[in-house]
Amino acid sequence: MGDKPIWEHIGSRFIQHYYQLFDNDRTQLGTVERTAIQGKAAIVEKLSSLPFQKIQHSITAQDHQPTPDSCILSMAVGQLKADEDPIMGFHQMFLLKNISDAWVCTNDMFRLALHNFR
Amino acid sequence: MVIGYRRVSKLVILFLVSEDNDGGSSRQGREKDWDSFQGDFRKQTHHYQQGGYELQPPHLLKDYGYMEKREVQRYQVRHTPYDVQHNKRGMKLHKEGCSDVTVWRGRKPLEREMENTQDETTGRWFKIIIPYGRKYEKTWLMDSIQSHCSVPFTPVEFHYVKNRAQFFVQDASAAYALKDISYKICDAENWKIAIFVSTSAVPYSVRDKLAPEEMEQLKLAMRKRYDVSQKALDLRSLLYDPGFAHLDIDIILNRRNCMAATLQVIKENFPELLSLNLRNNKLYQLDGLSDIIQMAPTVKILNLSKNELNSTWELDKIKGLKLEELWLEGNPLCDTFQSQLTYVSAIRKYFPNLSRLDGQDLPPQITTDIDKPDLTSPSIKESCERSDAMKKQVVQFLQQYYLIYDSGNRQSLLGAYHDEACFSLTIPYIPNNPAPSSLFEYFKDNRNMKNLLDPNLRFQLLKHTKHDIVSSLCVFPKTQHDLNSFLVDMWLQSEKMLCFCVHGVFKEVEGRSQGSVHAFTRTFITTPASDSSLCIMNDELFVREATLNETQRAVSIPVPTPSCSTGSTLSQEQQEMVQIFSIQSGMKPQWSQKCLEDNEWDYIKAAQVFATFKAQGKIPEEAFKQIS
Repeated sequence: MGDKPIWEHIGSRFIQHYYQLFDNDRTQLGTVERTAIQGKAAIVEKLSSLPFQKIQHSITAQDHQPTPDSCILSMAVGQLKADEDPIMGFHQMFLLKNISDAWVCTNDMFRLALHNFR
Repeated sequence: MVIGYRRVSKLVILFLVSEDNDGGSSRQGREKDWDSFQGDFRKQTHHYQQGGYELQPPHLLKDYGYMEKREVQRYQVRHTPYDVQHNKRGMKLHKEGCSDVTVWRGRKPLEREMENTQDETTGRWFKIIIPYGRKYEKTWLMDSIQSHCSVPFTPVEFHYVKNRAQFFVQDASAAYALKDISYKICDAENWKIAIFVSTSAVPYSVRDKLAPEEMEQLKLAMRKRYDVSQKALDLRSLLYDPGFAHLDIDIILNRRNCMAATLQVIKENFPELLSLNLRNNKLYQLDGLSDIIQMAPTVKILNLSKNELNSTWELDKIKGLKLEELWLEGNPLCDTFQSQLTYVSAIRKYFPNLSRLDGQDLPPQITTDIDKPDLTSPSIKESCERSDAMKKQVVQFLQQYYLIYDSGNRQSLLGAYHDEACFSLTIPYIPNNPAPSSLFEYFKDNRNMKNLLDPNLRFQLLKHTKHDIVSSLCVFPKTQHDLNSFLVDMWLQSEKMLCFCVHGVFKEVEGRSQGSVHAFTRTFITTPASDSSLCIMNDELFVREATLNETQRAVSIPVPTPSCSTGSTLSQEQQEMVQIFSIQSGMKPQWSQKCLEDNEWDYIKAAQVFATFKAQGKIPEEAFKQIS
């Protein structure tokens, strides 16, 4: 575990943290920003008001890469289950940036697969 | 009899061998051997004890019940108050054809001993041993034992020896009570914790406890080394310090009694201690220092450099301290790490708040702090509308890229990548099914984080420079991408970067898995290049087997224009939804699409919303199609 390059270390920790927060209490996702919605408050509001009560993510795969401007590109693919909906595949990309001594997600793209993964 | 004995020792050896392998495999090793052991046990008439006795499932303890008495009688003669018994070098023990463990499980020997020694002073000490106690954290272990034990007690000189944990108690009733709760406490994995009690000599730290005058001298000497402004206590090289030479005692900190005395002085005189320097004191282990968590919990800066600490596990004993700065250089443990990064990560496991190690600032860790002020990044322009020019550029880029990619010679992709670009490939890990055979070709390059265990291999699979990238791309089987199936998400655009994701399918046109269709997602981070094309900085590829649906829709002949509409693109199903909605509601397709989008593509919900709005008259005229 200690042998991972630092971006993998940070990336996988972020992903674990993010989905844990997302599944348990979405209101805590304070520093996540999406491209289509600006501003932390608006984002948290949007996330909290998404029309499901319960959600669970299961990560099938994740991958991390360093970018040239010292950000980290993280990808997570997996399955999620919201309320009583059937299990759906999803794919999410994060761009993590180091701002004032903390790693923060500046961009996040989420895509739901309308058909299941195998 | 002889034959039986030989069989005994062989089985025992088997078991012990697996026991020695520490780490994750040891539990499995034990279980495996346990199964074979169980079988043999029924057959064997000889009784023996395997090293892992404390891991016996409860139902088998009964079997040992009768054995207990017998063994006890056998070993009465051998009973000695000072232990050779707890010697974990099982080979030697078992060669003698006996085991010490059962001795202590019967009440008889202890009682017998107590009878013998009733005339002695009441200051009788008992050694309490928890075999395999090493895997438990000290606070958890002691709290569990204290809460289960009917008699309160004070543990003295708690420390770890090889695999076990041990401490001393002075009170006979406490010792009995502790013996009673052996196998009563379950750990997190439901193994019962064994507790073994034996009499013992006075523990060293008590025997050699500093006399009050010595404590006084120590206190004065330490006062001289205390810097009030920094709240720092400098105890480095105490052994060699001339300042302590006038004392009657040698303050050798690696001795338990000295460390205990030092901590006592700290607790009484420097209660808000911030920084402690224990450099160059020949510390071999940190068992003595572990009491610092109770004695001086405010310490944030600790210097343990130039000692004799062999493993980071020593830090486990003091991990209750919220250290911000730590010095460890000059210890043997530092040489066990392959790189600075692995060293730092290992240390950070114990002290997550650590910001300086060996005098160097550490890179920050991830936090999500909702109290942080709003972040503004002026260089990033985020907008919901993607300009047409941008879209065109991306489409053109993809067309060119996949033209070369599918051409059979990917070498000319060199021009598309930046010198310092990164590329990686991931394939989903399916725990129950073996890898689908058609993804075989890619498997050797798989770097799914969850799957890879060999860190070196993992690092190699992240291709770094454009040459490495293109050479590995050339190795992948020849493909035919279905550009018609592409969905492109424009993800981020700024002056410097353009990020987008491509989802689609492709076919393998040659090789082992010819004809199989795969689905992929590829994320590109690009920068504008000089000739108005895009230069790839990061390329992250995820490949999986295509579903039946996707396979059916994939065509073999590529049509070069991928579709890229405003905002996010619509899939086939979504387009169909829009059409039907448009027909049913009478609204134009764009409006139908908007309605569906706003309702997360839930058709029924969108229909309800539409009906409500229509009834309320909220929908403008122009939304509806002209009925000609």
